[in-house]
Amino acid sequence: MADESARRAVSQIPLLKTHAGPRDRALWPQRLKEEYQSLIRSVEQNKHEDNDWFRLESNPDGTRWTGTCWFIHELLRYEFRLEFDIPVTYPDTAPEVAVPELDGKTAKMYRGGRICLTDHFKPLWARNAPRFGLAHLMALGLAPWLAVEIPDLISKGHVVHRERPREEAQ
Amino acid sequence: MAADWEEIRRLAADFQRAQFVDTVQRLSERNCIEIITQLVSEKKLDVVHTLDGKEYITPAQISREIRDELYVHGGRINIVDLQQIINVDWVHVENRASDIAKSDKGAQLVLGQLIDDTYLNRLAEEVNDKLQEAGLISIAELCKSYDLPGDFLTEELSKRLGRLIQGEMDQYNRGVIFTPAFVARHKAKIRGLFSAITRPTPVSSMMGAFGFQEHLLYSVLEELVNTGRLKGTVVGGRQDKAVYIPDIYSKTQNAWVDSFLQQNGYLEFDALVRLGIPEPSSYIKKRYKSSKLLFLRAACVGQALVDQVEASVEEAVNSDTWTDIQPILPSCLSMEDMGMLINQAMRNTNVQSSARVLGGTVVVSEKFISSCLSLFDEAMQQKAQKEVKNNPVFLITEEDLKPSNLMTESSAPSKKEKREAERRKKASEGSGSVKSGGGGNAREFRIRKTKKKGRKDEDSDEETGPSQQNRNKQTETPFMAQEEIVAVLEKRVNDCPEEILSELAEHLVRPLTKSYQEVLRSVFMSSSSSPSGANKKKSMKDLQEEISNLYNNIRLFEKGTKFFSDETQVLIAKHTLKTVCTDVTNILVNFLAADLMMSMENPGSITNEVRVKILGKLSEETKAPLMKLHNCLNGKTIEDFLTNIEISAEVCGFMLKKGDKKKERQALFLHRQALVEQLKETEDPALVLHLTCVLLFQASTNCMLHAPGRCVPQIIGTLTGRIPTEKQQLLSAYQSLVVKQLVSQSQGRKHEEAEGDAQEQDEEARSVRTQLMSMTPQIKDLVLSQRKTSVTEE
Repeated sequence: MADESARRAVSQIPLLKTHAGPRDRALWPQRLKEEYQSLIRSVEQNKHEDNDWFRLESNPDGTRWTGTCWFIHELLRYEFRLEFDIPVTYPDTAPEVAVPELDGKTAKMYRGGRICLTDHFKPLWARNAPRFGLAHLMALGLAPWLAVEIPDLISKGHVVHRERPREEAQ
Repeated sequence: MAADWEEIRRLAADFQRAQFVDTVQRLSERNCIEIITQLVSEKKLDVVHTLDGKEYITPAQISREIRDELYVHGGRINIVDLQQIINVDWVHVENRASDIAKSDKGAQLVLGQLIDDTYLNRLAEEVNDKLQEAGLISIAELCKSYDLPGDFLTEELSKRLGRLIQGEMDQYNRGVIFTPAFVARHKAKIRGLFSAITRPTPVSSMMGAFGFQEHLLYSVLEELVNTGRLKGTVVGGRQDKAVYIPDIYSKTQNAWVDSFLQQNGYLEFDALVRLGIPEPSSYIKKRYKSSKLLFLRAACVGQALVDQVEASVEEAVNSDTWTDIQPILPSCLSMEDMGMLINQAMRNTNVQSSARVLGGTVVVSEKFISSCLSLFDEAMQQKAQKEVKNNPVFLITEEDLKPSNLMTESSAPSKKEKREAERRKKASEGSGSVKSGGGGNAREFRIRKTKKKGRKDEDSDEETGPSQQNRNKQTETPFMAQEEIVAVLEKRVNDCPEEILSELAEHLVRPLTKSYQEVLRSVFMSSSSSPSGANKKKSMKDLQEEISNLYNNIRLFEKGTKFFSDETQVLIAKHTLKTVCTDVTNILVNFLAADLMMSMENPGSITNEVRVKILGKLSEETKAPLMKLHNCLNGKTIEDFLTNIEISAEVCGFMLKKGDKKKERQALFLHRQALVEQLKETEDPALVLHLTCVLLFQASTNCMLHAPGRCVPQIIGTLTGRIPTEKQQLLSAYQSLVVKQLVSQSQGRKHEEAEGDAQEQDEEARSVRTQLMSMTPQIKDLVLSQRKTSVTEE
């Protein structure tokens, strides 16, 4: 797991109560409300701690989410698109977050840019379902993955800052 | 349901809004510090961080804070305290503080403290308060109480003197501030005190006694003296030694010195020192420039006294007596000074050659001394006579040495010259001086010889010493001991102190000894020359007889020795040489010595050394053979001696008659007779045996024998076969007994302490003794009876 500060940050994200997937017509809106509330809360908290690192938005059903996330390494901001669907078995199954730009650049990724969270995150999610929500997914799934993988990819040269090539061209 | 979705849409909108709200720009502390360090290092920002690292502060703020703190602390603050208060690095505080001290006229940095004018003014006021209270205040004290450097305080306070501080600073010593009132009080005190002083007083003691301030005292004192308010002088400057001498004291002192000199005619330096004059001699010289004073070691003397001494010296010299100067001199003069004074007087009166000083103070005229010498003439004559009779040999030695010695002393000639001079002397004086001249030569010869021998005897060793004069002194015959001279003088010279007498005696010893030598020599010459003539002739005959007899005896003895083996012969010969031959030699030598006026009454008492000495004095022609004769006494054969004695006797003018048969027989008879007499008398077994043997030997061989006791066995050995066997056995038995006795005696001596077998030995010895006692008559009979037979034979 992430370090102490991350754990504390996560602990401040409100847990969810409603156990309902997108198929559950009656309870899904309830669940979606809670998701939104927890996301708002976590974003506010991130901003407050100077730790804003993603943007998200969903379709009206709240089943497909898209957005961007970014990572600052050596004073440079690397930004990636991100997308994921809410699986029908949600919240028992965690959504599979994908970063299409990095598809094929790292081993820790499935086809289509879905990041590999099997080892650590899946058990954690399974233990905490249905209380964990999308905010937890971002904080405990994507954020650690980015923190580990991006510097590695940058050092290997697979990821290049968008302005850098220009500088090099000049 | 719709409401739910409506709410969801609203929440989605909220979410979006939340996401697009500006993020709070937040820097972590670390970043902040890094940024600021960066800025400071790039000189874009000028701030200083506090020691705890929680705040940054600009230098301007530091300056302001320093000023505030300075004000709060009353105008004086330590930079260390300041640093703790402001809580930034010490360097910044110090820099800012020094900037302030530079830029601000009223503030200054002293000993790491920031001080401003208000503080100094307040300090000055305080000082003024104290000053008015005490009248005097020292900067050093202030330094201590305010903990500020003296120079700084002096400067600051002197700036404020007269304004804030009502007082003045000592001009010579800037370490003190006082009020005019205090100064006036002090001045009055000093004026009064020093006016009252009548004798030299150390200024320092006054300071101690009356609590004067040293700096003030000296300046005031100087002022008073210079203005004439105080009559006196300060000697010794401004140091501890400084002494105030009032004029009145110097006046009385001078008056005392004047009157003392006038009355007594001298001045003692010690007395002047007691009066308080530190360097008396220079003082006197300064004071009595015109008058002639004689400066001695510890005093000086006026002309009058010198005249007096001169007069008495002159009188003593003129009247040929002595005079003691001491009574007319002041008692305080030391012996050394008296000596100087007397010498001076003698020099002045020009009597140095005709008088001398004894015992330090007594002037004795030379004539007086010579008159003292004459007192001894008679005693000298008497003593010389006695001495001549007692031991002329030692006298003659000196006497003979004298001419040569005197010569070396007077002209220090080389040996050659000396000899020449002697020859000349011989020629001029004739036969009389031949002996002495010869003596001189002989002495030389002897010296050479002893050198060759390796300096055998001490006497000659001394004589070969490097300094002749030294030897002369050593061998001089003393006339009288000093004490004796003193005793004689005491009787003759009246009312002389004893120490003078002893010193006089000391002076007289040398001349007396010298003149005694002269007297002795003359007495000796006169005494020895008179009896020699007649006596000589008379004794000549006797001597010749005696020498011939002895000579013949020796020849006979020599013959006797021929019967023995070589070794025994040597033994017997040595014995003979030691005894009879030595006697003959002595007689001869003594005869010659008589020629030189140094004969002994008993020739037998002449020892080896004496003989050598006498021989040394003899003339060349006699000396050589006699020397040979003397040497062969230590030889081994009688033949050598016999040949030598023949030559020697000839040289000495004796005829040695070789004995004819008749004479020989007579000699034999006489010899035996003598031995028999001796035998009859003696009881000692050893001697009996010895004599018996010798007699038997003579009887059997018809030869005289002169053998030592230890040759008895050999004699008995040669007797075997010449005497009947019973006698022989008797003889050897007796001999063995004698040997036993001798052995036991010597052993007894050895074992005197160990008494283990002493008794046994005692018994044995006793039995031996009894046996000896019984046999002795028999042994004696052997000879005595034989004598009869031999007599009958004859």
